[in-house]
Amino acid sequence: MNLIFEISEKGKRCATIRTPDVKAAKINKKYLRAEKPELPEVSEVDFSRHYTALSRRAFGVDNGFYPLGSCTMKYNPKINEEVAALEGFTRIHPLQDVKTVQGALEVMDTLSCSLAEITGMDAVTLQPNAGAHGEYTGLLLIAAYHAARKDFKRTKVIVPDSAHGTNPASAVMAGFEIINVPSDEKKGVDLKALKAVVGDDTAALMLTNPTTLGLFEKNIKEISKIIHNAGGLLYYDGANLNAVMGVVRPGDMGFDVVHLNLHKTFSTPHGGGGPGSGPVGCKKELAQFLPNPRVEKTEKGYKFVNGAKSIGKVASFYGNFGVYVRALAYIVALGAEGIKAAAQHAVLNANYLKVNIEDLYPTEKGRHCMHEFVVSMQELKDKTGVSAMEIAKTMIDRGYHPPTMYFPLIIHEALMFEPTETENKRTLDEVIAALREIYEEAFKDPEYMKSAPHHAQIGRPDEVKAARQPVVRYVKQ
Amino acid sequence: MSDYLSTTERETREMLDKIGVKSIEELFEDIPADMKLKKLNLPEGKSQQETMEIMTALSKKNKVYDVILRGAGSYDHYIPSMVKNLSSRSEFITAYTPYQAEMSQGILQAIFEYQSMICNLTGMDVSNASVYNGANAAAEAMLMCCEKNRKTFVTFNNIRPDTLKVLNTYAHRRGITVKVIDAVKGVSDIASLKKELNDTSACVYIEQPNYFGLIEDAEEIGKAAHEAGAKFVMGCNPIALALLKSPAECGADIAVGDAQPLGLPMSFGGPYVGFMACTTKEMRKMPGRIVGETTDHDGNRAYVLTLQAREQHIRREKAFSNICSNQAYCALVASMYMSAMGPEGMAEVANACVSYAHYLAEGLESAGLKLKYRGDFFHEFVTECDKPADKIIKALDKAGILGGLKLSANEILWCATETLSKADIDRAVEVVRRVK
Repeated sequence: MNLIFEISEKGKRCATIRTPDVKAAKINKKYLRAEKPELPEVSEVDFSRHYTALSRRAFGVDNGFYPLGSCTMKYNPKINEEVAALEGFTRIHPLQDVKTVQGALEVMDTLSCSLAEITGMDAVTLQPNAGAHGEYTGLLLIAAYHAARKDFKRTKVIVPDSAHGTNPASAVMAGFEIINVPSDEKKGVDLKALKAVVGDDTAALMLTNPTTLGLFEKNIKEISKIIHNAGGLLYYDGANLNAVMGVVRPGDMGFDVVHLNLHKTFSTPHGGGGPGSGPVGCKKELAQFLPNPRVEKTEKGYKFVNGAKSIGKVASFYGNFGVYVRALAYIVALGAEGIKAAAQHAVLNANYLKVNIEDLYPTEKGRHCMHEFVVSMQELKDKTGVSAMEIAKTMIDRGYHPPTMYFPLIIHEALMFEPTETENKRTLDEVIAALREIYEEAFKDPEYMKSAPHHAQIGRPDEVKAARQPVVRYVKQ
Repeated sequence: MSDYLSTTERETREMLDKIGVKSIEELFEDIPADMKLKKLNLPEGKSQQETMEIMTALSKKNKVYDVILRGAGSYDHYIPSMVKNLSSRSEFITAYTPYQAEMSQGILQAIFEYQSMICNLTGMDVSNASVYNGANAAAEAMLMCCEKNRKTFVTFNNIRPDTLKVLNTYAHRRGITVKVIDAVKGVSDIASLKKELNDTSACVYIEQPNYFGLIEDAEEIGKAAHEAGAKFVMGCNPIALALLKSPAECGADIAVGDAQPLGLPMSFGGPYVGFMACTTKEMRKMPGRIVGETTDHDGNRAYVLTLQAREQHIRREKAFSNICSNQAYCALVASMYMSAMGPEGMAEVANACVSYAHYLAEGLESAGLKLKYRGDFFHEFVTECDKPADKIIKALDKAGILGGLKLSANEILWCATETLSKADIDRAVEVVRRVK
């Protein structure tokens, strides 16, 4: 389809504004640009058709099954969008007197307290704008904690080899060095290797639990002991909280700092890549370092307070407020039991999908998975030449979003399925049937699968060309 | 209680049977029993109607003003109907990052169009798909510019306080020094700048217009930065860029800013969207997603996430930034705004801002306030006055008007946009005039 620039015609207008009813003021010519920026000029009908066409070439949770592992693509309730659009939330200025925005502060406080309860933490900041931003913030808290104790040797953050790529990247941004630890044969943290690397230079260990393999880290108590005995702190990457919320809390597992993803676990939409929101919770020893400002409830109402020992600000104003409104509406609707039920059904759905395909799509044997599981297609690839990616692309032809591919890095030809709790049995049964057929197809007609997808918006794109000869903007021919 | 599950009890039973367990609890057997939680201490779940009532009641505890004379980083602009309507399509809202290009061409093309519009607005060569907000965009630019031997970030005390705070946070653990120079008459001063610049300066950062609303002589600042071997980074208001010289025309290496004024509501400070654009030379250091054009195996035009070797999911600890989720949906809204307005509409909005701001400034002067700075301004300006700022703002509040932002006991930062009318401003000025 055309780019909006290609349907642009000079002189066309879409939205229009009122002509100012005051004398026109002019800016000194020396500051003015030579030419108006080249922006699209379209009529309203052109505009509406263009964006409708783009939306029809997008695939969201409302379009179909979206088992993108680690991303928790659960349904995004419609009421959340409606409440976030209420004028009392959208048309308030961030620098209004706090007396005039008590509702907004109450949203923030109620959400923070709910998240503290869900994670077993003592204090929560909502400010970080995304999961990775939360990791960065959490690591700054850890740095501030050690610095306040004059424990300046702690320069290293330990990261398992199964961790999300953001973990090491965030730790480097926060000024730490990275120590990678391998997984053991059961895909948990290798305790021997961990013991060998901890020491008086250990600032923290970053861990996801359940791990990125969708398995609960059974040795969590032992890991916690090893890290804490060495004087380090335990950081919880909340990407997989959906598996355990209401069942077990990171705080009770021994974690000191956690970040959450409201755009995963708490049903706020991903919007094609964001906005997310990455609240950070911590134990009381670290609370004094949380970003400024924090909301405090007093007898006279809510107010903002600034702590002297805070790490400072990590984002403008108070973060992605509109996302908080949606997440709070979700927590209000679910309540204590609904939150637990969400985790339970996420795990139920993942296990149901797993047991129905694991004879063909091999995964960790002899254990139940949590909210997601990772299969290895190495054997199929050896036999047929069909790779994990080609299975993913064939799923596209059948109208399903593929699972996460080639992650975690420790599994060869990995596909990571996370169906989430909002899928129903009928959908899962259809997907199971489709996956079983796809597997058979790999033997019958591997060449056809290697050029999949065949019925998508486009065929396989040339990514090498895109990176070698970057065309990253429209240029008029 | 509401839940968003869609499995009946009978189906749950069938699924458990198939898995070979008696209860859902059995699936959680790997979790040590003594660690498990008895029950969350949260209220019981609510019906949809009750949830709506609770949330609506919260929204009503916030005061919505008819007339808004406050900016300082969050701006009240008219949002076109077609932007609100088309951006609410759930395919846009409920999609993930477009990892699977074959089923995400709509999202990818929308980002490519956004990147193109940001390039055209700033004059730069390359834009990313967005970062969190304007302050974070400035911080990411700082990290792009700092090198082993150049680790001083130079700026003035006329940038937005929030931006400075975020810059300080990001600099602290990376051994970067943030040098803040005093502005002279509200604007960035070349002579003071030249004294500060040396071979450890990584870049110079200014905002256009600056926090006080004043238009900076950006070209001169850029020249001074480059003469010292430092990069030049401009933080811009995108509405102002419809009229003002583009960062490229001013010699910037990196242009950043917050695109909130482009169709996003004030929403108590977020979600907004940070834009980032740079020269081709800096491209491979740019953080965040970038969409590129390519072809599929049949030669058809196709869009993909590209230059991913910069990013955390490939490079892990060697990545230039940790950013993963960005503000893609807000970037979509901003690009819709630019398409709906077009170059003429954007210029009309910008001109209306300038005209109303100058009319407001004249009115306030007639009411006894003085403009603190005499320089050219866009849609914000600072007044000083013997009357206490608090009294002025309180009187306006009583009249349903959100006054300017108090900067000190007697100074106020005002803002005017196209949402105002002559009558609104006249009314506000009368209120100020009557303050004793």
